[in-house]
Amino acid sequence: MTVDGFAGSDQPLDSAPGPGIAIRTLEVGKSYGRGETRIDALADVSVDFGKGRFTAIMGPSGSGKSTLLHCLAGLDRPTTGQVLLGDVDLTRLPEKALTHLRRDRVGFVFQAFNLVPTLTALENITLPLDLAGRKPDQAWLDTVIATIGLGDRLTHKPAELSGGQQQRVACARALVSRPDVAFADEPTGNLDSRSSADVLGFLHRSVRDFGQTVVMVTHDPTAASYADRVLFLADGRLRSELLDPTADSVLDAMKQLEVG
Amino acid sequence: MLKLGLRSVLAHRLRFVLCTVAVLLGVAFVAGAMIFTDTLSAALKKNFAGSTADITITPVTALDTTAGTTSAEPPTLSSGLADRIAAVQGVAGTDPQLLVGGIQILGSDGKHTATYGVPIFASAWPHDPRTAPFKLLDGNQPWGQKQLGLDQSTVEREGFQLGDQIKVITPTRAVTATLAAITTPMLSGSSAGAPLVTFDAATAQLFLLGHPGWTSIGVAVHPGQDPQAVSNAIAALAGPDVRVRTAAQVSEEGKSALSDTFGGYSAVLLLFAALALFVGAFLIVNTFAMLVAQRSRELAMLRAIGASRGQVTGTVLAEALVIGAIGSTLGLLLGAGVAAGLQFSYQHLDLAVPSSGLKISVATIIAAYVVGIGVTLAAAYPAARRAGKLPPVAAMRDDATIPERSLLVRVIIGGFMFLMTATLYLIAQKVRGLPAAILLSLGAAVALLAVVMTSPLISRYAVRGLMSPFGRQAPVTLGRRNAERNPRRTSATASALMISVALISGLVVIAASAKASVDRNIADAIGTSELVVSNDGGGAFAGQVGDRISAVPGVSAVHRVRQMPAKADTRMFDLRGVDDGSLEGPITTKVESGSLDALESGQAVIPRNVARTLDLTVGKSFQLTTGSGKHPVTVGAVIAPNRQLNGIVVSLARFTELGGAPTDTTLYVEVAQGTDLAPVRLAVLGQLHDYPTLLVRDQQAYAQGERRPINAALGVIGMLLALAVLIAVLGIVNTLALAVVERTREIGLLRAIGMDRPQLRRMLQVESIAISLLGALLGVVIGVLFGASIQAVMVDDGLSVLDVPVLQLLVTVVVAAAVGVLAAVWPSRRAARLDVLRAIATE
Ligand SMILES: Nc1ncnc2c1ncn2[C@@H]1O[C@H](COP(=O)(O)OP(=O)(O)O)[C@@H](O)[C@H]1O
Ligand SMILES: [Mg+2]
Repeated sequence: MTVDGFAGSDQPLDSAPGPGIAIRTLEVGKSYGRGETRIDALADVSVDFGKGRFTAIMGPSGSGKSTLLHCLAGLDRPTTGQVLLGDVDLTRLPEKALTHLRRDRVGFVFQAFNLVPTLTALENITLPLDLAGRKPDQAWLDTVIATIGLGDRLTHKPAELSGGQQQRVACARALVSRPDVAFADEPTGNLDSRSSADVLGFLHRSVRDFGQTVVMVTHDPTAASYADRVLFLADGRLRSELLDPTADSVLDAMKQLEVG
Repeated sequence: MLKLGLRSVLAHRLRFVLCTVAVLLGVAFVAGAMIFTDTLSAALKKNFAGSTADITITPVTALDTTAGTTSAEPPTLSSGLADRIAAVQGVAGTDPQLLVGGIQILGSDGKHTATYGVPIFASAWPHDPRTAPFKLLDGNQPWGQKQLGLDQSTVEREGFQLGDQIKVITPTRAVTATLAAITTPMLSGSSAGAPLVTFDAATAQLFLLGHPGWTSIGVAVHPGQDPQAVSNAIAALAGPDVRVRTAAQVSEEGKSALSDTFGGYSAVLLLFAALALFVGAFLIVNTFAMLVAQRSRELAMLRAIGASRGQVTGTVLAEALVIGAIGSTLGLLLGAGVAAGLQFSYQHLDLAVPSSGLKISVATIIAAYVVGIGVTLAAAYPAARRAGKLPPVAAMRDDATIPERSLLVRVIIGGFMFLMTATLYLIAQKVRGLPAAILLSLGAAVALLAVVMTSPLISRYAVRGLMSPFGRQAPVTLGRRNAERNPRRTSATASALMISVALISGLVVIAASAKASVDRNIADAIGTSELVVSNDGGGAFAGQVGDRISAVPGVSAVHRVRQMPAKADTRMFDLRGVDDGSLEGPITTKVESGSLDALESGQAVIPRNVARTLDLTVGKSFQLTTGSGKHPVTVGAVIAPNRQLNGIVVSLARFTELGGAPTDTTLYVEVAQGTDLAPVRLAVLGQLHDYPTLLVRDQQAYAQGERRPINAALGVIGMLLALAVLIAVLGIVNTLALAVVERTREIGLLRAIGMDRPQLRRMLQVESIAISLLGALLGVVIGVLFGASIQAVMVDDGLSVLDVPVLQLLVTVVVAAAVGVLAAVWPSRRAARLDVLRAIATE
């Protein structure tokens, strides 16, 4: 299967991503353990993520989705290969620079436990900026806040918010610093369908209206259908890709993957 | 349940180690005190076995004082009495003995030998080796005024040899004589182990008393005779002026006298044991509260699968039991070490304190375990009880928390305690003096507890205010919020520090006030005398010193002050004899009523504070008990409280009548007008070559010297309090380290969204500083209030001036903040090492 957007082997290896590419991996591999017990969580993954695009990553449990996302976001270091954010090779950055890159150029939404319990919703949103000692761009902040639609609950502590509200706050935090890429690892995994729709709608709008780049891991075909493009992973390798997915086409692709 | 507890202990080494250390330190003090006391009393028993005369006869003294250490005339027995006793049926031999304290031995360097406060005794050579209180080891019995004997410890320490010329200073004169005999130290009585100088009997009477007489008579009983019967016969013969005791009675009394001497150390150790355990208890309370919070799901699960409330409570208490048992065991060992150290330091001083192997009695072991385990269990109990109350459904919930009782109860109890403090304070204002100080100490203790009770509420508001100067950067805000998020935990951690700091700052205020009062008092009482002569370390010296100084050209007058203990209305006072005119020149006094002229007619002058304690006014009489008996004394004048005359003052003549010896404790030397002081001072010093312990100082230097004991006492107490601070700091480390574990996920999240390690460290430091500043500030406030109110009630009892040393207190607070930074070092290293991915893993 030839897939548009794959960084195929015929492309020059050291090339920085072109103007339309936000982040790119080059033959990324990640293995745990040694010898007999060695597990290759990722193997030979080369992929580009276009700017202003909403990409979903799918695959069976244990297929390496989270590992890939962590390597992309600078939370983990691949064993082999390169991760290029703009012209920066994340795999070569020292710990401190990587931390600051996460703070300034990357946003992240986890499945749960996204918020600091001692801070209000608003303080949680601006936390990356506060850590960087930067002032938020008030207009952008207002826009983001308006989009998550939390209204008067901004001054509440996370414990006083519902799960869906908490995830929307986390999404707002991931976007507030206008990151090059916002990552989300099963952001709706713990939510009911209504709250899921809120969160996904918010991510979708951020891509559509603000040109944000979003990469999201999910195992829910409906969630994947919000994306522009779906990548399928199995056993740590990229298997296929689907453009402009619908819930049905995603389901079909998943079935094919199981068979094939 | 015990097995579960043990597993839990092993799984969480950190909190285990810190809790154990807290228990260990407290128990070590308890065990150390008990072992030291037991060891000492075992050694004393060994020593008293068989080294005393069968029967001992001593003069009856109204007041038991060690002869020679003050101007009190040593009570004596006549020689005739010994002869009459020798005739009593059953008496095999009599041996009149003379033993006087307050001797000084000059080392080869001409300075007096250091004995660390243990008095040196001088004795007459006994007639009869059977009843001798010491034994000859080398050389021959000293004869005449040119020979003396010394105990072996002193000889060895000073490197003397038989035949050396030795200088000693007796209550009546300075003596130089040849070392003829090396003896054991005194083997019995209250002077056992003390350095000993010996002379032949006639020489001893001359040098030690200045007149014939004996301080006791030892009697040997014919074999087969009942000592008690003989003792009764002697008592009948000798009349009421003497005390007749059998060896058994003497050794019993001697033992208790010696235990009194060393009992002080045990008491101090026990006091600090209590403090260490109290402070340590906060650490344990916190640890278990956090433990239960962290494990609430697991504990609720136990409940869900059928464990009863009691069983859940039991698992938590089992862990406390394990920690208490291990802490007690280690504490017992450390306590033995402490006792061994104390014993070693005594022996190291060559004081020949009776020694024996360390005695670890069953009672000590039981006490160590009861205290250690008891405190741990008690401190863990509140958390254990709450664990038992966990509803089983909590196992199913994500946010399983135990509902905590509202702070209202605490606030009510705390408020009640504050009321109690206020009441105690008001009562103290009425009582004044030492009893008031005790009331106030009690009040301060209650106030501390009240703050402990209400501090969760206080901390809620205090932390924000305290930390506002640290800015509003994200790590600072996060750290501050962390300190605020669990007020109970923060305040319990801070309370431990608060107690230590309160004690320290209270002491600092009292000590500073004491020093300021000495200065002021001496400044107030500074008279016309240019020089003050006194003995280094106190004590009386021969009257001949004053005579010699009077003869120095340029000296216009020498005013003698003599001093001995006396009792009035069950209280001990210093009784002073002063020269005519001493109070109107050399010592400045302010007469409040009556007239100083009354001294000449044998009446007493007393300061206002003494007058109040004894409820006396001018013209009233009271009974004064001295070594020579009971005497009626009339008050002739009341003066303002005066440090140099704190006690009862009479004329020199009256002092002698009351049983005082012609030895002086202080001389005020006046130099003729227009004479240069420096040469006179040199000439005075020239007259005192034989008396190297005498200090000739101007009033300023004298004041300086008076302050020294305050500093020394402060140093010792400060060191022990530092230990309490150490435990409190361990508590902060413990709280932070546990918080890091508890907030693993949160810290992972912060790292994931871009908090770097320095920021993480700052966040924990801010939390730590918030806790320590809260503790230190509350402590300083309570300590200063306590110190100031003590000063207020002791205005007339030596603390006339309040001095709050702001700088020292500020240093205390700054040090506390620094301690906060230090306490965060290790926890933040742990936090920085956390694996971000592991921390945020959704499991
Ligand atoms: N820290 C680790 N140590 C060992 N194996 C790991 C570790 N983290 C992940 N793995 C393994 O890597 C594989 C991919 O994991 P993951 O990326 O979490 O899968 P997914 O998110 O797709 O469910 C799994 O087989 C998992 O067991
Ligand atoms: Mg995953």
